[in-house]
Amino acid sequence: MAEAALAQGKLLSLRETIARMEGKPLHRLEPVPDSAVGRPGDVSVAVVNHDRIAFGIEALDAALGGGLVRSGMAEIRSGSLRDSGASTGLALSVAAFVMTRQEPQQGRAVFFVGEPSVCRETGELLAEGLEDHGLALDRLVYARPRKLDEALWLAEAALSSRAFAVVVLEIAGNPARFGLSESRRLSLKARDSDCLLLLLRQGGREEAGSTIFRLEASPASSGLHLLPDGTPLRGTIGSAAFSLAIEKVSASASPLPSQGIVLEWNAHERLFTCPSDALPAFCPEPRPANPGAGLPLPADRSDRPQTLGAVLAFDRAS
Amino acid sequence: MRLLALDEKALALGLKRHQGLAEAKAMCPQLDAVAADAAADLRFLEALADWCSRYTPLAARDGTDGLFLDITGCSHLFGGEENLLSDLIFRLEAMGLAVGGAISHAPGLSWAAARYRMHQPLESRIIRPDTAGAVLSPLPVSALRLEAETVPLLMKAGLRTIGDLMCLPRAPLARRFGSHLIKRLDQALGREDEPISPRLPVAGLSLERRLAEPVAREEDLLFMAGELSRGLAPMLEERGLGGRLFELSLFRVDGAVFHVHAGSSRPLRDPARMEALFAGRFTALQDDIDAGYGFETLRLSVSHAEPLESRQMDLARPSRSTEGLADFIDQASARFGAGCLMMPVTRESHLPERASAFVHAQEVLSAADHAMRSSQPYRPARPIRLFRYPERVEAVAEVPEGPPVQFRWRRILHRVVKAEGPERIAGEWWLDGEEALTRDYFRIEDEAGRRYWLFREGLYDREPGVPRWFLHGLFA
Repeated sequence: MAEAALAQGKLLSLRETIARMEGKPLHRLEPVPDSAVGRPGDVSVAVVNHDRIAFGIEALDAALGGGLVRSGMAEIRSGSLRDSGASTGLALSVAAFVMTRQEPQQGRAVFFVGEPSVCRETGELLAEGLEDHGLALDRLVYARPRKLDEALWLAEAALSSRAFAVVVLEIAGNPARFGLSESRRLSLKARDSDCLLLLLRQGGREEAGSTIFRLEASPASSGLHLLPDGTPLRGTIGSAAFSLAIEKVSASASPLPSQGIVLEWNAHERLFTCPSDALPAFCPEPRPANPGAGLPLPADRSDRPQTLGAVLAFDRAS
Repeated sequence: MRLLALDEKALALGLKRHQGLAEAKAMCPQLDAVAADAAADLRFLEALADWCSRYTPLAARDGTDGLFLDITGCSHLFGGEENLLSDLIFRLEAMGLAVGGAISHAPGLSWAAARYRMHQPLESRIIRPDTAGAVLSPLPVSALRLEAETVPLLMKAGLRTIGDLMCLPRAPLARRFGSHLIKRLDQALGREDEPISPRLPVAGLSLERRLAEPVAREEDLLFMAGELSRGLAPMLEERGLGGRLFELSLFRVDGAVFHVHAGSSRPLRDPARMEALFAGRFTALQDDIDAGYGFETLRLSVSHAEPLESRQMDLARPSRSTEGLADFIDQASARFGAGCLMMPVTRESHLPERASAFVHAQEVLSAADHAMRSSQPYRPARPIRLFRYPERVEAVAEVPEGPPVQFRWRRILHRVVKAEGPERIAGEWWLDGEEALTRDYFRIEDEAGRRYWLFREGLYDREPGVPRWFLHGLFA
């Protein structure tokens, strides 16, 4: 009897080791019964899991096998650079979310490694905007290295320092110098150092890598501002909304949803929420095709011909 | 073109300073004349001063051809003043320089003895305070570092040697030749103090290691830096200090000196971390340090130290992460420079590009305790990404001052579904002048759900020019 229990314990620990090596979720409190092995659909989402932080959105949590991982590498990508607002926003939301859920006790920080070409194309991070988005500025370190090698070095050093809860590594497109081996190396490092590494691929294709999951972020139309009594205010732009397509989950317990999941980021509460279905979809008021002669400027074309050459604001250097 | 300086051989041939080059070439056809480069001479002299810091940290450049070393308290390290001087002269002569040197209690006296007793034996150039008068009196008055016009005046008066001046009453001398003469005389006799200005700031603490065999490999240098840090740690501990800025001086066998600086974001005493700092610096410097035939002397000094109070460890939560953050910032700054890591801060300004700034993380971290934050009144939301230079868009608005209906950005037409605004931000006239244009910012969402921050620069009819539309940022 005792031998059988010993063997069982050994088997469990081996399973745990294998699961850890493969980066799969560990179900510590409720060991999976033998009969359930090999039938991934049986594992329910309700299993208590200490390695995950639940987003609180059922569809997303189920698809990701219980929520956001605490340590390891995950990828968020945007299909084109003009969607970088959404992808950056989602990455920063996740960082703020982790910081609120996990960090008040540990005092770790967020590290954002920017990519110069993305900064040129889609703008630099703005302190006030980050604050509005729910991030604590005194717990955010930002770097903009010149080359990818430097960025990788910084990310790796940041992971080994164990001073960060989230490291966001922004890369542009699919650089040849960030391949499978680099991705594997960073993901192992992240798992060892108990840190979430978010790979933020701006304007890139899907690429194989040792990430735990990969999401494609695209913009989604936002909700409305709510008045104090709870009625929505027409025509306003509410909390930021994203549409996520789950492209890959390494240890998937349930089939991936075929269509995108739309979620909103409530920066004030630092919570992800589902857009409420109760609100009617906003449709702009129909506009006459020909606005008529009463208006001072025509609304169907620009007020002046296109100018040639580069025109910048700020004549004087500010 | 004229000759500015001559070596001994040229002097022996009868050439003179300020002689025309053509004339000199006629006298001596094989003359090797090099174009004068005062800046290079100065650089060379400064490099020599750096090299002399192996004897004392107080090495100062004097004019274009001399160095002052303050060796107070240093000579015993070299086996006495005589050994120090002979070692210094021997090494400099080995470099191919013609050097004269003297040691005395006053810089003026040393200056005179080094130049006018150059060919006398070494012992007679180490002058005790009581023999100063005797040494000075036979020297010509030009040994007093006087102004160029005073020397001929003295000569005309028959005062050829310093001894002639010393036996005259001071008041008439000062009246006739100016107080400068008396000052110089007093300085030479050591009656008046003369400060020298060392080239490099003197480090509060430093430790030096002389090697019997020069080392050139990076690992050896790093090992030596570690050894020096281990030696420095007890000294810092004794004083209750921690170093913020360290300087590692590497003295190459051929006289070149390299200084490697490494900064830390908080006071530091741990030898392993000091070594790690220098490891980062060495990786960053790579080829900037040419080891040549190797380095014979290494010195580690603490250029800037701050009190390091011992902290009680927190039982409930180990504060490892702040330590880790500081370590990481130091490591990255040592490798890529201090500007590599930044932290966002908000400033008090209405203009978004001025209200947000990135500050070096090292500074923020050291100033974190006394940072002041003023709470801002309500303002509309700001985008997360802001273009450094707003991008021109062609916008179409229904009413001139209203939000756009559609706009074309980077050749793509975006139809506006929702718009919020305007948020009117007037120019900061105290910086930009009265004619700075007002901006009306609109928060805009297009059909695909992308959110933009557009502004119209200028107001219709009220401000000069036709208003133009720009895209300034992207919302999440």
